[in-house]
Amino acid sequence: MTNFQGDMNGLEAAVRPNSVRPSEGAVPNEALPALNRRQFLEAAGFTFTLATLGGCGRAPVGHALPPASLPDGAIPGNLRYYASTCTGCSAECGMLVGTRDGRPLKMEGLPEHPLSRGGLCAVGQAQTIGLYDSLRLKGPLLGGKESDWPSVDKAILQALKQLPEGRGSVRLVTPSITSPTLHAVIDKFLKSYSDAKHVVFDPVSSSAILEAHAATHAARVLPHYRLDRADVVVSFGADFLGTWISPVEFTAAWSSRRAPEADRPKMSHHVQFESRLSLTGSNADQRYAVRPEEYGPLVARLTELVASRAGQPISESLAPSPDERHANVLENLAERLWNARGKCLVVSDSQDVAVQRLINYANHLLGNYGTTVDLAQPSRQRQGQDRDVEQLIGDLRGNRIGALLVADLDLLHDLACFPDLAEAIDRIPLTISFAPRVDSFASHAKFVCPAHHPLESWGDSEPIAGLVSLAQPTLMPLADTRSMLESLATWSGTPTSALDAIQAHWKESFFPRRRIEAVTSFHEFWDNALRDGFVELKTDAGPNAEFATSAVKPLVVDAPSESFTVVLHRNVAMPSVLHAHNPWLQELPDPVTKVTWGNCVAVSPNDADQLGIHEGDIVVVASEDGQSKVELPALVQVGQADGVLAIALGYGGKGTERFAKIGPQWIGAKDSVSEEGLVGANASGLLRFQLNSLRYQRSGVSVTKTAGRRPLATTQRYHSLEMPREIAPRGAEHREIVQHTTLAAFAKNPEAGAVEHHVALEPQLWPEDHPTPGHAWGMVIDLNKCTGCSACVVACQAENNVPVVGYDEVLRQREMHWLRIDRYYSGENDSLQVAHQPMMCQHCGNAPCETVCPALATVHSSEGLNEQVYNRCVGTRYCANNCPYKVRRFNWFEYPHPDLRQNLVLNPEVTVRSRGVMEKCSMCVQRIEAGRIEARGKGLPIADGAIQTACQQSCPAQAIVFGDMNDPKTAIHAAMKNPRRYRVLEELNVRPAVSYLRVVTNRDEETRRG
Amino acid sequence: MQQRVLTIVLLIAIGLSGSLLVAALSVWRLPDNQQGYAPEQPIAYSHRLHAGDLQIDCKFCHSAAESGRFAGIPAAEVCMKCHRYVTAPYDQTLQELKLADKEGRSPKTIISPELKKLYESLALDEQLKPIPGGKPKPIEWVRVHNLPDYACFNHQAHVSVGVKCQQCHGPVESMERLAQFSTLSMGWCVNCHRDAARNGVNGRPVQASTDCSVCHH
Repeated sequence: MTNFQGDMNGLEAAVRPNSVRPSEGAVPNEALPALNRRQFLEAAGFTFTLATLGGCGRAPVGHALPPASLPDGAIPGNLRYYASTCTGCSAECGMLVGTRDGRPLKMEGLPEHPLSRGGLCAVGQAQTIGLYDSLRLKGPLLGGKESDWPSVDKAILQALKQLPEGRGSVRLVTPSITSPTLHAVIDKFLKSYSDAKHVVFDPVSSSAILEAHAATHAARVLPHYRLDRADVVVSFGADFLGTWISPVEFTAAWSSRRAPEADRPKMSHHVQFESRLSLTGSNADQRYAVRPEEYGPLVARLTELVASRAGQPISESLAPSPDERHANVLENLAERLWNARGKCLVVSDSQDVAVQRLINYANHLLGNYGTTVDLAQPSRQRQGQDRDVEQLIGDLRGNRIGALLVADLDLLHDLACFPDLAEAIDRIPLTISFAPRVDSFASHAKFVCPAHHPLESWGDSEPIAGLVSLAQPTLMPLADTRSMLESLATWSGTPTSALDAIQAHWKESFFPRRRIEAVTSFHEFWDNALRDGFVELKTDAGPNAEFATSAVKPLVVDAPSESFTVVLHRNVAMPSVLHAHNPWLQELPDPVTKVTWGNCVAVSPNDADQLGIHEGDIVVVASEDGQSKVELPALVQVGQADGVLAIALGYGGKGTERFAKIGPQWIGAKDSVSEEGLVGANASGLLRFQLNSLRYQRSGVSVTKTAGRRPLATTQRYHSLEMPREIAPRGAEHREIVQHTTLAAFAKNPEAGAVEHHVALEPQLWPEDHPTPGHAWGMVIDLNKCTGCSACVVACQAENNVPVVGYDEVLRQREMHWLRIDRYYSGENDSLQVAHQPMMCQHCGNAPCETVCPALATVHSSEGLNEQVYNRCVGTRYCANNCPYKVRRFNWFEYPHPDLRQNLVLNPEVTVRSRGVMEKCSMCVQRIEAGRIEARGKGLPIADGAIQTACQQSCPAQAIVFGDMNDPKTAIHAAMKNPRRYRVLEELNVRPAVSYLRVVTNRDEETRRG
Repeated sequence: MQQRVLTIVLLIAIGLSGSLLVAALSVWRLPDNQQGYAPEQPIAYSHRLHAGDLQIDCKFCHSAAESGRFAGIPAAEVCMKCHRYVTAPYDQTLQELKLADKEGRSPKTIISPELKKLYESLALDEQLKPIPGGKPKPIEWVRVHNLPDYACFNHQAHVSVGVKCQQCHGPVESMERLAQFSTLSMGWCVNCHRDAARNGVNGRPVQASTDCSVCHH
């Protein structure tokens, strides 16, 4: 009101000198000037002139604040990379941290790393946004109130000294810790208490595999699976390309065997038995949808068949025979495995130790130990002991624990299946959380001692025995946090810095085991490790115990149930609830379901039909006893076994309330959280322990449809490559967007699967309109290697300042990702085939967008790029309408950046787009320019591979090749000659600069399925 | 007749005011043209003295011009390379030396008021010793050359092919207070790029693209 009045007064003053004109009549009222038309126009004109003149003035004064002193070698504005280790999950891949002006901005893969080989997954790359999260704790909390370290340390030490009688147990609960130094510090801390124990609880546990090896090989280890050596891979439920143990490493290894050449038509054969459609299953050569209860009989039968081929037939049947329909399948598979013995691999994610023992036996009979199953250098990526966790729960309920310390997991979230746990925890005299944000456990903890963000602290890791890597800080801690290692060392009475502790441990334990004897000083050893990011050490020979055949026992198989079985899995984008605060990961479409912003209940199409469930209907999944239930929207998922419900864990975490208003706020905007105020819902209430292991499946559950609806924010609505019959031109019902052939056909004719075009490519509408005399940038994507893991999507988002739009805008199909991965289904049941196709601006030679832009805001560069000029764009959106690939994104809103600290994540090399402009993939033109300038500075031509796009750099499968198509010596030039190469919608003659390599499935038939 | 005169007079008037407008525009700036901008700086630093009289090379202080996107305003530490020893104008120091000699005492350190600001920013005392507990603070220079966020200019790309600093920044060595010499408008950039693509830089052929994405990405 006051503003309005103020404006009116100003207007009055402006009008007053001219307002008293006899001919026009005087102002009738002193308080409110009566404006007639003429006066209004005068005032408006005056205002307009003033505004124009005002606009000619100086820009606002800006300041430049150079640092008082600059670190050695730092160049303002230039990107510097530091080798480090990713701690996004316990796979611990190698990572390059790109920092600019002291700010970590872009996480990339470390090409020399022996496991991840230059790849980095979506989760690893999205870490930066957690670093600049302004809702991270600013310092320690004491009883929920902000405190400081000295008082917290004093109170904790006092409490540790005075643990009450009968409650003397100290328990530290963490997921698998691969850091050798942290292990040593933990051991030292726990040693000073009579009853102290480190409980390793993996929310994604592989405990059964370790237990099985304890039985069969007398060593409780997780083998290092070598998919790069496997010609035949059989997986029973293990989603090794998406979420199982070490997905980046497995993707790199798996895809290295998926590139058949014309002169060497060979590739691995991958068979997947699974209950839900996982990322791995979607990439398999042959996939069978089975209920999880069937894994046991299937594995048993396969083992029997292999055993009889190995000349050691098993007399007693190991399990009831599996379903009839798989009899032939298993017979053929056993033959195939036997023919590839020593070069094949059988894996399973089953948490049934008996099943895992049979898997071990099959691998043993096939001679895979020592080749594809490495026990000499076992993996440390999963060490969880489910039995200990069960014991811990008993101790908690029995009030035997005096001090409970929890790090790197949200105990109350991940064990929601024990609802009485919160009460038991409240009764403990001393509870400490190391969580960086107040999660479910931290809100019950007496002390919260927030750890640094991994990019702020020193760390080390040994993911595989004999391979140790370093994580180095790339900026000073942004808040008053302290690493867990330093906290524990302080409470042990030997305060030390993490760096000193790590160096001391490395000097003592690793330096004597160095492989390169020429390195004589520890200083040199350390510097090399710091520069390379990792170092390989000599290892002892692994366990050489004879295979204990006595461990191979018949399975106890539950009677097949008529009710539903729920499968609790992880999403590729959300491996743990620890990442729930990350908006990039929340908005990353799941590679298979394409759902963003929350989890859902996946139901098979047959079950959905029977129950009358449609996508978006809210359903309640309840356990048999009715004790635990979860309410979520349903998704009808093809490829899912009938009778199976699949729900992702890691959602519904405390702290996701922050996303309620994440997108643009306008009158019609819906919140990105559900009615409970959280993103998704926590399904871990349905977990249970059985035979000492945590089970991710539960039979006997019921599913009921409610009246509620919450549409799923999916980024893809059309899933088939078949055009609806009523709109398809005759003969073009099937669109060859993703071309496909089989290995048998490819071996005969490398160009098998090519499609003849209906439209002649000559004559040109624009003959040689866009010559590219210098460079001609182009890209080739090998669809046979691409698994759809979506690492590239986040890489692109981080590199190009792509905004997060929120649930409601995704529902309106206004997501902003420059690079999307299209997923298509064809075929049904066992012949279901899934294709993943990264789709971004194709940089057409004859670009349809360019011809329709009235503002010349999208034009062709002299190097073959289709440029989008934001400052010219007026937002007509004609270009997006005319784009056949639908890759252009429009800024419907000014996507808000109210949080200044969050804005530190923005890449200063790329413009932050404002409302009303179009944007799209630029082929990382800022990287091209940087590469050109770099080469020019050296006076050399741009070397092949010197410029890498963000998506290419991080691709774990190395499916993307980028380079200069004009240069005959480049990798892309060779890739362009690949007989599998094709271009999408080639018949339109838009001449894209992006081409794809045809999918080849390793099958004996010569025709495509479906 | 009268009407014709009126028409002629009117035409002359329009022509005159038109030419006046053109003349005025050449003096005035178009919106956002910051040419001639010479704000007062927190320290009255003289390029004329340093780059002109003392002939210090531009890249001695703006060392990143050869290797980075920004030429960089030097860190206060860079100034200390000389100003650890040079604390006041030469004549003042000389005068003090003579005076001290005459009075038979050791000369005092004279610190000019402008350099005092530099030492303060580095938390140094009168004797150029670090002040205990003092924290260095950056000097808040007023930015003279400022491009819009959607334009990316890279110094290395230009300096490495031999473009002289003065070509864009003007005779900095004669400026007492730094002023923006060029318009830094897009037309000015493109003109130079076209010229360089045709004629090269200093007679050497160069690649000076006029693709939009060279600057706008």
